[in-house]
Amino acid sequence: MLRHILVTSNMAARGHVQDPNDRRLRPIYDYLDNGNNKMAIQQADKLLKKHKDLHCAKADPSRQVLKAIGLQRTGKQDEAFSLAQEVATLEPTDDNSLQALTILYREMHRPELVTKLYEAAVKKVPLSEEYHSHLFMAYARVGEYKKMQQAGMALYKTVPKNPYYFWSVMSLVMQAISAQDDKLAQTMFLPLAERMVEKMVKEGKIEAEAEVQLYFMILERLGKYVEALDMVRGPLGEKLTSELQSRENKCMMMYQRLQLWPECNALSYKLLLKNPDEWQFYLSYFDSLFHLMDKSWSPPNEEEHCVEGPVQTTVAEAVKFVVDRMEEEDKKDSRPLRGPYMACLELIHRLRQRGCPDEEELGDPLELMLQFFGKFGDKPSCITDLKIYLHLLPPEQHTQFKNRLGDLVPLGEVGEDGFGFPGDTKVLQRHLCVCQLSRVLGLQHTLDTEGKLCLITELKAHYHYGLQFGKSCLKTELQFSDTYCLMVAHVYIDLWTETGDENMLWQCLGVLEEGLSYSPSNAQFKLLLLLLFCRLGAFQPVVDLYSSLDAKHVQHDTIGYLLTRYAGSLGQFAAASQSYNFSLRFFHSNQKDTSEYIIQAYKYGAFEKIPEFIAFRTRLNQSLHFAQVRTERMLLDLYTEADITSSLEESVKAMGLCPEEDDIPWDNMRDNRDLTVLFSWDPKDRELTEEHRRLSLEEESVWLKVRSLTLRLLASLALLGHAPSPRNSDKTNENGVSAKSSTLQTLLSQLDLTLQTAAQITEKQTQYPFLGPPSSRLASALSSGSCHCQASALQLSLTLQELETTGLDDSSELQTQICNSFKSLIVQLQELLSRCKGEVLEMKDSRLMTQPSLLETLVFFVETVCVVLWVASYSASVLRPLKSSLQKKKKKTKDSSTAMPVVLSGFQEWTGSLQGIVTQALDHVKGQEASLTALKLAALTLGVGHAQTQEECGFTRAAMDKVQTSYLGSLQELGDLLRKRADSLKSLKF
Amino acid sequence: MTTLRAFTCDDLFKFNNIQAVLNFLLQYGIPFYLQYLAHWPEYFIVAEAPGGELMGYIMGKAEGSVAREEWHGHVTALSVAPEFRRLGLAAKLMEMLEEISERKGGFFVDLFVRVSNQVAVNMYKQLGYSVYRTVIEYYSASNGEPDEDAYDMRKALSSDTEKKSIVPIPHPVRPEDIE
Repeated sequence: MLRHILVTSNMAARGHVQDPNDRRLRPIYDYLDNGNNKMAIQQADKLLKKHKDLHCAKADPSRQVLKAIGLQRTGKQDEAFSLAQEVATLEPTDDNSLQALTILYREMHRPELVTKLYEAAVKKVPLSEEYHSHLFMAYARVGEYKKMQQAGMALYKTVPKNPYYFWSVMSLVMQAISAQDDKLAQTMFLPLAERMVEKMVKEGKIEAEAEVQLYFMILERLGKYVEALDMVRGPLGEKLTSELQSRENKCMMMYQRLQLWPECNALSYKLLLKNPDEWQFYLSYFDSLFHLMDKSWSPPNEEEHCVEGPVQTTVAEAVKFVVDRMEEEDKKDSRPLRGPYMACLELIHRLRQRGCPDEEELGDPLELMLQFFGKFGDKPSCITDLKIYLHLLPPEQHTQFKNRLGDLVPLGEVGEDGFGFPGDTKVLQRHLCVCQLSRVLGLQHTLDTEGKLCLITELKAHYHYGLQFGKSCLKTELQFSDTYCLMVAHVYIDLWTETGDENMLWQCLGVLEEGLSYSPSNAQFKLLLLLLFCRLGAFQPVVDLYSSLDAKHVQHDTIGYLLTRYAGSLGQFAAASQSYNFSLRFFHSNQKDTSEYIIQAYKYGAFEKIPEFIAFRTRLNQSLHFAQVRTERMLLDLYTEADITSSLEESVKAMGLCPEEDDIPWDNMRDNRDLTVLFSWDPKDRELTEEHRRLSLEEESVWLKVRSLTLRLLASLALLGHAPSPRNSDKTNENGVSAKSSTLQTLLSQLDLTLQTAAQITEKQTQYPFLGPPSSRLASALSSGSCHCQASALQLSLTLQELETTGLDDSSELQTQICNSFKSLIVQLQELLSRCKGEVLEMKDSRLMTQPSLLETLVFFVETVCVVLWVASYSASVLRPLKSSLQKKKKKTKDSSTAMPVVLSGFQEWTGSLQGIVTQALDHVKGQEASLTALKLAALTLGVGHAQTQEECGFTRAAMDKVQTSYLGSLQELGDLLRKRADSLKSLKF
Repeated sequence: MTTLRAFTCDDLFKFNNIQAVLNFLLQYGIPFYLQYLAHWPEYFIVAEAPGGELMGYIMGKAEGSVAREEWHGHVTALSVAPEFRRLGLAAKLMEMLEEISERKGGFFVDLFVRVSNQVAVNMYKQLGYSVYRTVIEYYSASNGEPDEDAYDMRKALSSDTEKKSIVPIPHPVRPEDIE
């Protein structure tokens, strides 16, 4: 056996049902497996009662644990835990109890308790191979590398099997990888691991391929490339057989690290002779060739050039090599390989970079690309391949190139509409490739509006004509002509963004909906529709589109942003909550999933996969999107529930929110978004750049910071409300209060700083390519004024806190300050509301116009109202006791002449104004709903001027209806929330 | 022209063009991929285009009893992105999986394919595979469509000198009867 296949008894399995005790456990297990937890508990109880004379746990620990599992699964965590601990303190050593406890602790997400369990078991039964290995795996689950190293060694000493020894070695490597201090890794952990392996090598005890792999890993990490190379080339290397070309690949890697260019060159050459389609070896062949030329390397006179054989050192040799490879392909009867022809273009590209005149010997790039198109133009990959080398053509050749490509596409006779069509799918693919190339070359972008409309007509004609080739396609297959449809959509988008004519957008939606009706599995149609609906502010259709994409696991991270960016910001709160949940469920399962397979990798000796799995887990844990969804989810819950179904304080507590804690990895944030998931054939100067990516991440991070600070501030506010009044308590409590308010203070100044950074970022007004990342909500949040309004509201809570300490007497300045804040907040809210005014959808001159930004601003308004009302409710909680003590005083002195303190009258006035604003907003929402409902889209005449067929108009209408319905849905949800908030205002009266 | 290399976890982040277009191909969750990576990393190969796009991948395993001459390579998943079809990539990936199975001394390579998927069945036939048996209702229903039968297709490797492993079984079997 080549790999370590060491199967210790499966922890969760119940393989050996032999002794009578086991037999009686069976029904409980079965109930648990079937999800019948209640019956499992009953069954366990029944059996436990039979032994009631003895202490339950002692008599029958395993049944006790099974009962605990049942309790855990029925939501009685506390009971389950104490029952389990009862058994655990007995330090059980029977399989059943240990396995059941392992399952239970895992379900409780307390894997660290499993280590304690087996530590005890191993102490009691020191010779048990099984318990030792369970202990090792328990440490592995929690990443205790040092203890793993020791456990592995203890295991090896108990049972001298190689895998155990190497588990220990691998644990040293993991200590090195996880060490904060690289010096420690390089001078302690790795050298120790190396010595441990060397010892086995010297004793001739190396058995498995996995052990050699691990040795290689250690040497590589130590930078001992020469030693690694010797090892791979030596007898130990002979064990590297599982992976294809394992030795060659490792040698190549070492040659490159060691800059052994002759060997690198000779090996690449050899491998290319064997497989002239292996792209990576062309790259290493060219790299090494030019390095050798730069060093004027010449081969030794007599013997071999190097251990890997002959070395090539001149451009002439490289040219000949590539030309020979192409000729070989030309001669073949079977399907030619693309490699050699692409290598030829790559070589020209590199020679040109070096200013080397020899490129002519390979031929004219234009002719070579035509030749390539001749051979591979009917493959869908042709565009992807040629795209890389289009820069070899000077701009003045572009039109010529396109025309000559066209000559290679035999279309049928030109019909009435002026177009000729392909006779089969191969010609169709060629024609499509020419269209794609002309877009990449920028030839479509230079057309004027009329030209673009003509192009649309032509592409549509080809699209509809091509549908006949796919009549027998299954629902899961794509239509051959789908790409035409996508290109039509792209030209429509060009027209929309250039001219602002929304009709182009509606037609674009129509054509994509039509495409989807013929090709219901086309993910590109769905993605583009999704993006367009989001841009239009219509989130409802997006939910179905996204779910029909059937996004799986990592995709919730890579493309989930398309959904979550817009969900909450468009006021579709229920859908937003659902889409956050999709993503969160995936992120939360990740932790558990990966540790299971880290353990498997130890068992099967796939050592190189262990750091990889851990890096994978880290990449997901540090994901930008994860942090965003986490934060937005909590904010959303507060906005929609706090002070409606439960108090802000209860909500904050239920979320386990702690204002002092920041769990977002700001310095190591990973941007896992796939920003090129939408196909684009835009020319290079319109493509997404690295700078775009950087700016988008920067913008998203700052926005996330604003949101997470807002969340923590709200948590802080909630706990502030809970603080006992200082005059009724002793000094220690006072400290507690000031700690809370200082957290609030710190967070507020952080928010202030972040908003300053945010302002600088939005000044840049970064525009991303249309198909690239959507802009964050940052710019609109700032321009709407909502951020500043929320910040001033939170600031006010601090001042109120001060008043609480000072009291009503001698605080007239403070009171005036508070009253001014009350007034200022009203002004800010009023301004924010005025920015929401306007028609989100209207018909003008038989055109349909949208203003989705109004909807987004309205959402900001509602969010801000929530924050202000929470502050208002905190204000009430501060002022109420002050007022009542004042009244008591009045009664005592029987003095009725004293005027009401300004802050109290100010507050009353304030709540009145707040009520007024919320009512205004509700009226506005109602008005919008009414005018939306009154809009009769059927009255629109479509297709005027742009020869849309009846069918196309139908799809466009359907898209318009979706947008209208979605807007209505958003308004209803926003209205509902505002009404509930208005109710909470009533409780502020006093 | 392709770079063939071992699949890594990071490739999961680049899967969108393969997966989103043909979403039915990847019904697997992360644990499924990790399990294969932990157990049979050499059987998990990805093909990458010069521009860095993922073209396709193959995922397989070795299983079966050596004593009963049932030790074999199994193709669990083979997927090529639509824009990289008709380049012979599937054949190349299959060839690699067969080579790995040869080295392990397997007697044959097998795979399951939907009876209705004529394109795939024909491709495998061209690559030297033959129908060994039919497995009734191997693919569970989705979207209201009925359960579907699978062909268990096999190709003998050089260890099986008499090609005993591919002699067809005339009667269809049920999923619970196969290993």
